[in-house]
Amino acid sequence: MISALLNIGLAHFLILSLILFLTGLFGVLISRNMLRTVMSLFIMSVSTVINFVAFGYYCDSTMENANMISVFILILTVIQTIIALVILYKIYQANESLDAEKIKDKES
Amino acid sequence: MVTNLIYFYFLFFAVIICALGVIFAPMMYISAIALFLFICFSALIYLYLNSVYLSVFQFILCGLFLSVYIFLLIKKIGRANLSLSLAPTSKIIISSTFVLLLGLLFVLYFTQEFDSSLYSFFNSVVEKSFGSVNFKHYLYPLSLIGVFVFVSAAVLRVFIDNSLAAEQQKENEEKQS
Repeated sequence: MISALLNIGLAHFLILSLILFLTGLFGVLISRNMLRTVMSLFIMSVSTVINFVAFGYYCDSTMENANMISVFILILTVIQTIIALVILYKIYQANESLDAEKIKDKES
Repeated sequence: MVTNLIYFYFLFFAVIICALGVIFAPMMYISAIALFLFICFSALIYLYLNSVYLSVFQFILCGLFLSVYIFLLIKKIGRANLSLSLAPTSKIIISSTFVLLLGLLFVLYFTQEFDSSLYSFFNSVVEKSFGSVNFKHYLYPLSLIGVFVFVSAAVLRVFIDNSLAAEQQKENEEKQS
């Protein structure tokens, strides 16, 4: 058990990525503020990038594939987040709130 | 060796604490700061894994542009001091159960599929590329995923049916009044 903790390997990074992914998912499910939801989605995306980089480091000596895929994921994540933020701003202008429950009540 | 170990565990816990900080921060600006720190620490993790280019890329793209954009947005809408608002307790309990189940499923999948050795994952990929995969071996985790999907679909169906019934009742009451 202690030797598993001391010898850092792929499993450690996969566990980290799993914890981050689940934390992000939990944030998406429980937060009422839509800005926090977008941030939680970003955390989920970063956890996938960590996964790719860790696999690249431990399974691919050149790391070319892992880095290339990770850069693509990162760019797409940032674009997705910025588009989501722009949409949120528009929603805020229309409803004066970013609370999903309040907006839902207002619409109904 | 020891310094390396301490450095790794420092990054490990720092990233998790920052991720939790984004979700559970009492004020919105603290949440944005936690996100910035999360980006910095995850960039350091890439650096630890010898991905210098990716680390710098993430720091510039996310740390210097995305975080600043989020800060500006929060300032523009005047919601920097907005307090934390979470979903109702029942929803939090259901969500945490769902997340724990999903985590358990992941762990089960890896331990069952790769016989506690995650390094053999790559061997499995190589095995697939040579076209000699034993599909019988994959049935157990796949069946677990299938059961999980059906259970979650059934739960969602109940929720949607209930909300539809409540909406119809509301409409009927309005029509009657």
